[in-house]
Amino acid sequence: MSKAHHTLESRRKLTLFGLLLPPSAFLAVFFLGPLAIMIVYSWLTPGLYGGVEWKFFHLNYGRILGWADTKYERFDPVYFEIFLRSVKLAATTVLLSLILCYPVAFWVSRMPEKRKNLVIFLITLPFFISLIVRLFAWVLILRPTGFFNQALMGLGLIDEPLEIIFTGTAVIIGMVYVFVPFMFLPLYASIEKLDLSLIEASQDLGANRLQTFFRVILPMTLPGIVGGSIIVFIPSLGNFIVPSLLGGAKVVMIGNLIEQQFLSARNWPFGAALGMMVMAAVLVLLLYYIRIVTREERQAGGLKVAEEVAA
Amino acid sequence: MQGILRIENASKSFQAPEGGVIRALDNVSLTVAHNEFLTLLGPSGCGKTTLLRAVSGFEDLDSGEIYIDGQPVSDQPAHKRPVNTVFQRYALFPHLTVERNVAYSLEVRGTAKAEIRERVGNMLELVGLAGMGARKIGQLSGGQQQRVALARSLVAQPKILLLDEPLSALDKNLRHKMQQELKTLQHELGISFIFVTHDQEEALVMSDRIAVLNGGTIQQLDAPEELYRRPGSEFVARFIGESNLLDATVVSVEGESCDVVLTDGTVIRDCPVNGLKRGDPAKVLIRPENLVEGFGQSNPDERAGHEISGTVSESFFAGTDYHLVLACKGLPPVRASLRAGPGTSHHTIGEQTSLFVPHDAVHLIPGKGAPA
Repeated sequence: MSKAHHTLESRRKLTLFGLLLPPSAFLAVFFLGPLAIMIVYSWLTPGLYGGVEWKFFHLNYGRILGWADTKYERFDPVYFEIFLRSVKLAATTVLLSLILCYPVAFWVSRMPEKRKNLVIFLITLPFFISLIVRLFAWVLILRPTGFFNQALMGLGLIDEPLEIIFTGTAVIIGMVYVFVPFMFLPLYASIEKLDLSLIEASQDLGANRLQTFFRVILPMTLPGIVGGSIIVFIPSLGNFIVPSLLGGAKVVMIGNLIEQQFLSARNWPFGAALGMMVMAAVLVLLLYYIRIVTREERQAGGLKVAEEVAA
Repeated sequence: MQGILRIENASKSFQAPEGGVIRALDNVSLTVAHNEFLTLLGPSGCGKTTLLRAVSGFEDLDSGEIYIDGQPVSDQPAHKRPVNTVFQRYALFPHLTVERNVAYSLEVRGTAKAEIRERVGNMLELVGLAGMGARKIGQLSGGQQQRVALARSLVAQPKILLLDEPLSALDKNLRHKMQQELKTLQHELGISFIFVTHDQEEALVMSDRIAVLNGGTIQQLDAPEELYRRPGSEFVARFIGESNLLDATVVSVEGESCDVVLTDGTVIRDCPVNGLKRGDPAKVLIRPENLVEGFGQSNPDERAGHEISGTVSESFFAGTDYHLVLACKGLPPVRASLRAGPGTSHHTIGEQTSLFVPHDAVHLIPGKGAPA
């Protein structure tokens, strides 16, 4: 019985291989391919009229990180400042959407089944409308003669319209608005799973509300918090639509900068190098996340993992 | 009696999801003594869990008061009450080790680290989990988790330990073992245990006293033997143990004993009178294991008034006992379990036979009761 294809196990393996091949091939060609092009281009010389010259060139990174000092390619701290500003914006977006979503997720998870489904549907509803249209709606709301200022003035809270549109505040509002569903769903998933009897057990053992929150609820929902934060952080770091529509010319983020390099300045190698910077930041974050998650798993089912490794 | 726990006129209603109101607790009063093992026994929905949760602080009463060690606790939130609970599904913290689970109540009180280590160590030893402190909850068997739950709720030395059907998730053998261990532990620690279960056998084995609940009220509160031998109502008689309940009328009273006549005209003599008078209706309770063969062999006159005759309609052997069902004209089927020893033999179906009711093997429940 050495004919491998006859055992159920080997046939299952073959089926699995057959099913996984097309998506793997697709990802290799259309995902890793462009990525490889980006990596290669970021080390090439920019052509005079766009395009690239096939000559090794390290000053794309030098312009960002500090060692470029030639007549044409000079180090300018502004790039790194923009990068840091983008990280800060992304972090703010994560924090605000977390603060916004956490209590709401708790509230929704305690609703009766029917209403729960309705709320989840409502939260995903904005995805049915184009992002651009929704952001233009925010322009209408936030502009000096828009709904927000009119309402505040009508209530007599302010005399003159607040300058919100085309400022950092407008960008943060827009970013939080766009990414809240991405934070909500993973948070909700982990909060919904939370066993209410654990909270009762904690109280029964003498812990007050605050202690129960920090000792039981927070650690138990940590996977959702970390997951949601990463899912929000990554796309908001590179986002350029929100800053360009709501931030105007004053607020430039790394995403806008990359867009300009590719579409206006036609300096593809430099744009690619900036893109690599974003990716490096994201990778560092992901590695950190994986380390936290695997450590949790190792603690939760140490024996199981050890068995699997040994097998 | 100034007990460790006193519940006075506790009432609690819930809004039923279908509309209408469920009376989970209906004017319940109860006192639990120091160092007592009290069981709340009843079918599901009888209010036993609600009563337990009212004591632990997870349900507010609509009216009535609960006193723990003389102090009213209605205004105290759950985390301030000197009671701890072993939950039905244990509710252990999966993100903490065994040690940290047990230490939880001490940590939140800010107990010194060295003292925590010592007390947690002692507690783990007491429940037989010494050396397992570093394990995660997911690595433990059901029985071990049960012990962690027990250790966790005992480490802070509560005045009362509340146990909400803690053994229902264990298999039968382990359950019997844990029943004995719990009882021993309670004796050693000298803490009052309030134990909720729907398993009457478990309640009989473990308790000092049992409160039988139904429909939000306490039907009877007594020691297990008293409850089994002299149930105060038909509900209690049916809920605890196997029972034959036969309608009867008292025909004569003589001091502390009386004679009754069953619906088929059979007379049963020498029943404990239980406050009944001539002409009163009553339910005759005969436990299946109290019916015997071969009574008054030497003197046939003695048999009169202790005999039930009928046709065997079911008969099977179950190791320690022969189980019989006797069909008697004018009576509901009478069940009997006869000890399988030397001298007893298998009865075949269709056989005519007589079984005997010895003196004092009968209990009379006053009143007509609901038709069986």
